[in-house]
Amino acid sequence: MRLVVGEDSVLFREGLVRLLADAGHDVLAAVGDAEVMEAAVAELQPDVVIADIRMPPLLESDGARAAARIRVTSPEVGILLLSQHIELRECLDLVGTPGFGYLLKDRVLHLAEFDDALRRVADCGSAIDPEIVRSLVRARRSSALDSLTPREVEVLALVAEGHSNAFIAATLFLSERTVMAHMRSVFTKLGLTEDGATHRRVLAVITYLGSQQVNVPATHSGKH
Amino acid sequence: MDISRFVARGPRAIGAVAASAYDFGVGAGTDARGPYPCEHVRVKAAHARALTLGATVAWALPVGLAAVASAHETAGQGWGFLGSQLPELLTPVVCVAAAWLIVRRVPTSPTGPALAWTGGGIAVVMALDVLTQSEFFVSSLPGVGAVATVSTGLWPLDLVGLLILLLVFPDGRRTGRIWRAVVPAYAAATVMLVIAMWGSRKVDGQVEGGPTGGPRVVLLVAGLLLVAACLVAAIVSLVLRYRSGDEVLRLRVRWLMLAGVAIMALLVAGWVMSIGFKAPLDVAYAPVLVAIVVLVPVAVAVAVVRHDLFDIDRLLSQSTAWMVTLVLSAATFGIVVLAVSEVLSRSSGLDLTAAAFVTALVLLPLHRYVSTAVARIVDRDRFVAVARVERFAADVRAGRRAPEEIETVLREAHGDPGLRLFLAEGGSWVDPSGAPCPDAAGLTLTFGGDAIARIHSTNDAARARRRLGELSRAAAVPIEVSRLRLGLLAGRARLIEATVAERRRLERDLHDGAQQRLIATGMRLRRLQRDLDPNRSAEIDCAVAELEGTVAELRELAHGVRPSRLDDGLLTALEAMRATTPIPMDLDVSPLPALDDVQVLSAYLVVAEAVTNSLKHARATHVGVRVADLAGRLCVEVSDDGIGGVPDGGALTALRDRVESVGGTVTISSPSGAGTTVQAML
Repeated sequence: MRLVVGEDSVLFREGLVRLLADAGHDVLAAVGDAEVMEAAVAELQPDVVIADIRMPPLLESDGARAAARIRVTSPEVGILLLSQHIELRECLDLVGTPGFGYLLKDRVLHLAEFDDALRRVADCGSAIDPEIVRSLVRARRSSALDSLTPREVEVLALVAEGHSNAFIAATLFLSERTVMAHMRSVFTKLGLTEDGATHRRVLAVITYLGSQQVNVPATHSGKH
Repeated sequence: MDISRFVARGPRAIGAVAASAYDFGVGAGTDARGPYPCEHVRVKAAHARALTLGATVAWALPVGLAAVASAHETAGQGWGFLGSQLPELLTPVVCVAAAWLIVRRVPTSPTGPALAWTGGGIAVVMALDVLTQSEFFVSSLPGVGAVATVSTGLWPLDLVGLLILLLVFPDGRRTGRIWRAVVPAYAAATVMLVIAMWGSRKVDGQVEGGPTGGPRVVLLVAGLLLVAACLVAAIVSLVLRYRSGDEVLRLRVRWLMLAGVAIMALLVAGWVMSIGFKAPLDVAYAPVLVAIVVLVPVAVAVAVVRHDLFDIDRLLSQSTAWMVTLVLSAATFGIVVLAVSEVLSRSSGLDLTAAAFVTALVLLPLHRYVSTAVARIVDRDRFVAVARVERFAADVRAGRRAPEEIETVLREAHGDPGLRLFLAEGGSWVDPSGAPCPDAAGLTLTFGGDAIARIHSTNDAARARRRLGELSRAAAVPIEVSRLRLGLLAGRARLIEATVAERRRLERDLHDGAQQRLIATGMRLRRLQRDLDPNRSAEIDCAVAELEGTVAELRELAHGVRPSRLDDGLLTALEAMRATTPIPMDLDVSPLPALDDVQVLSAYLVVAEAVTNSLKHARATHVGVRVADLAGRLCVEVSDDGIGGVPDGGALTALRDRVESVGGTVTISSPSGAGTTVQAML
């Protein structure tokens, strides 16, 4: 896979580049600045760009903003954002769109999981860190999610992370049919329309979870 | 009626000259102004000049006549007569000079001509005296004998100027027929006296051939009573105008009052000298005469031209106080002398010594007491204003009022709603709320040598400035205290801002520094793992898991320093908190205006601390969090259903400190067994 890496911490960048090389990927460029990264992506057109959210020049969410621009200028390039902590403000529009991933940095220590997420992003799928999904679900737990069974919540979380039905079935030791039944039930209860493509379900679920969280409604009152 | 018409129209009658000055004014223009019935008399400048010139010429009359008389007489009688009446000759000089000053500076004021004729009237009477008592004129001028028959009754002309002055000073007279009738009545009284005294003449200052018949004596008494009544009426009119007049009018009248008080004081002194020290009468009372002659015209002139010259209230108040003290201590002295000599029943040195001792003992406290009492009456406005500020300062010392109210108190005491107070804070000027005011201007107040405040008043009169100076001195301590408190708040706010920035930096350092290095180390271990046999590989897995745990811990730590989710808004951060709280938590967040870093973090930490308290100590099963914008302040409320009974100053002290350090307030309601509600206003 052809990759561009944007990461300002030299230690982390070098470690990541070696791990990716070991896994057989072709790292075309490894840079430490969001603007340089943008230029490299425009020139090299990699399969995926792996970008740290917080990067120079401003040390704010420069990486996320550069990613949003890359999505416009080079829609074919997959985007995988890395972050030390959950920081959704700048990239909410990208979450759940095809070819987008958002992982906490510790995830790279689990080589297989990381590689899997990278491939999903490259294949126009979705990869959302379980930690982020967990926090979104937890924050929502007092609303419509209350009507879901525990098993349905598990399925919902895995969908949100961007996994396929087969993966979910394997993870939860269920048949794919059962998973799909759960899926339909979840979508009906939450009032969402189901669509075959994985990334669209992710989009629906993430949008459902995220929109009500970050886009503050006029008055919000939680009830038990 | 005929008489008054005669006075009003008879151009040759001397009384009429003064009376017409009075009527010029009324005719020249009146404007009934304000709530009190008083006409503001304006005379034409040309008339004022002509009248004052007339008085000047009138003053020259006795001198000229005396000069002519002495040139033709061997005895030099004319000069001798004038020499014996020096104070009376001096009166017109000072009056006319003061009148010219007024006419030049305030040409339309009726006070100038009136003052000129206060002297002019005296001069005319003197001239008549010279004329009728000089042998040269009596023998050489045919009409002098006829003049002599009326001249002894014309003495009220001495006072006609003063009468008019009292009626019009400083800038008008009261309306109404009574006041209009005063001058005609006075003229009528003069005619009555002339008729009563008809045929008498003065020889060496003594009247010869006074009235003998019954009707003429009655006429004489009636005339005298009428003269007295007119003078009393004039004084009453001045008092009435003073009572109903505005601030400036009162100030002007007070100058005249000051002269009156000075004359009274000298009168007392003259009395003490003549009775106590057996001084000759002319020596004892000479200062009184000079004072009358000089002080009254000068006071009138100052009142009209520069009533703002000195702090008249203070002068008047203090001189009155000293006079009263003088009288009281003299009385004390006399009483003690009397009492001691009564008790010892013989004269000895002891009575005087005792009297001196007692008088010295009571003098200072007496004066202090009298000063306060007199100031309360005479200089009431200043006394009330300063007392108001001083009472406020005392209240501040006693903790009953907040020093920050000082601006309002000064506004009220000074009677100026536009008054503004600026405080020196960190090398620049700020208003009492702390907002910077680089264009601060006004009276600078120093405290211990440092400029601490500026007070700007919209009233820029010299008197108002003096008053403001006194008020600001009385207010110095509250002003300094509020300035220091403001400085403390500003300093604390800066500290809090720095702390918040520091927390943010620390959080970043943890994320970007330690966490990154740990993960980088983990990645190196993973790379090494590839070359190891499976047995050792499990060891690496453990090490990496250990590292991951440490990274998670660091993330938690950084979250405690400053939750990074606060970047996504207060609601997001609170929802994340709800996600990790083990008991049900109601969250009610109203739409909020844009909040700054300090507010967001403070609100978050208040909730975090209160919720933690509920979990740890209250055995709560449910907690509610409410955040709302209340009139520009952020209201954060956390309530639980726990056991309550949080001791005051107990577990929530840290929370209280945190809120108060950003200028907020905390109310904790925690009845035992009925839950705890913590409310913070930020």
